[in-house]
Amino acid sequence: MKWRKWNIIIHRDLGYLCFGLTILYVISGIAVNHIHEWNPTYKIEKSMVEIDLSTVDTADDRAVTATVLDQLGETGELKNIYRQDGRTLKIFVVNNNITVDVANGTVFQEKSTTRPLLYQANFLHLNHAKKLWTWFADLYAACLGILALSGILILKGKKGLSGRGKWLVGIGFLTPIFFLWLYS
Amino acid sequence: MKRLIFSITLLCIACALPVQAKTDVYGKGVSLSEATPVSAILDNPDSYLGKMVRVEGMIIEVCAKRGCWMYVAGDRQGEKIQVKVTDGEIVFPMSASGRLGVVEGIVEELKLSREEMIKYLEHLAEEKGQPFDPSTVKDERMIRLRGLGAEIEG
Repeated sequence: MKWRKWNIIIHRDLGYLCFGLTILYVISGIAVNHIHEWNPTYKIEKSMVEIDLSTVDTADDRAVTATVLDQLGETGELKNIYRQDGRTLKIFVVNNNITVDVANGTVFQEKSTTRPLLYQANFLHLNHAKKLWTWFADLYAACLGILALSGILILKGKKGLSGRGKWLVGIGFLTPIFFLWLYS
Repeated sequence: MKRLIFSITLLCIACALPVQAKTDVYGKGVSLSEATPVSAILDNPDSYLGKMVRVEGMIIEVCAKRGCWMYVAGDRQGEKIQVKVTDGEIVFPMSASGRLGVVEGIVEELKLSREEMIKYLEHLAEEKGQPFDPSTVKDERMIRLRGLGAEIEG
């Protein structure tokens, strides 16, 4: 069997194998690229409400916490409470960080939930997992390299590397060089 | 009968095993056994600069976007210390806020001009989506930990 036929087989089957992770990385890549504009991992909802603390001893953290959670209708698991200063109490509930100004009853809530699919995609793409995933990701990167190399060798002639291919490959190299020059 | 004895034995073994709270380990974990109070570091930062310390306390804020920093509450009311980690090397989850944590890191100083400090703190507030008042910036020197490892209760 000629090498070009083997090249096509490798390119095809490796393409099938890499498809899933490539799509996952595409989604995560675009999401993370725009991290300055949004939070790609968590959906955070912030809100400010006023509650009535007139019947509570505001020095009693437990009593304030119970009243705040009750008035907010917050039923999540209470993780901890922290008295930051004389008038600020922080209440940590699972997926909800609550800051209470005990002097005027202003409550700031920061509810956070992980974005489905994106959280997992970012976890893998940004290699938060470390350990075994690092090696697997290296293997995937090597496969992408093989896909690129085998891809440019599929066709010969006018549409192959010796024809239009060399110009397109050239543009592919020049594009990052242009941006490096632009930002230098 | 044999099955009953076997089940009881298994139950006894299970009961004898120590019940441990789930703890998540980040980076290199924690190796120092003696904790340094945050107040000691903040009171006398020069004697700690460049030294590895272990700090314990409640995690009161976490970087929502990258998980690249968090604040650990100090032993004195209102005091806190920032733990900064290299982006991507350690990622603290949002769920860490309100949990008790043990952090190991090197005490470092972030010395900036007033404008740079305002810009930096403004950036942190922006990441948290919190309002920021530049007039609250008094110090141009920030003492923080370059975090190398942590253990946070799950």
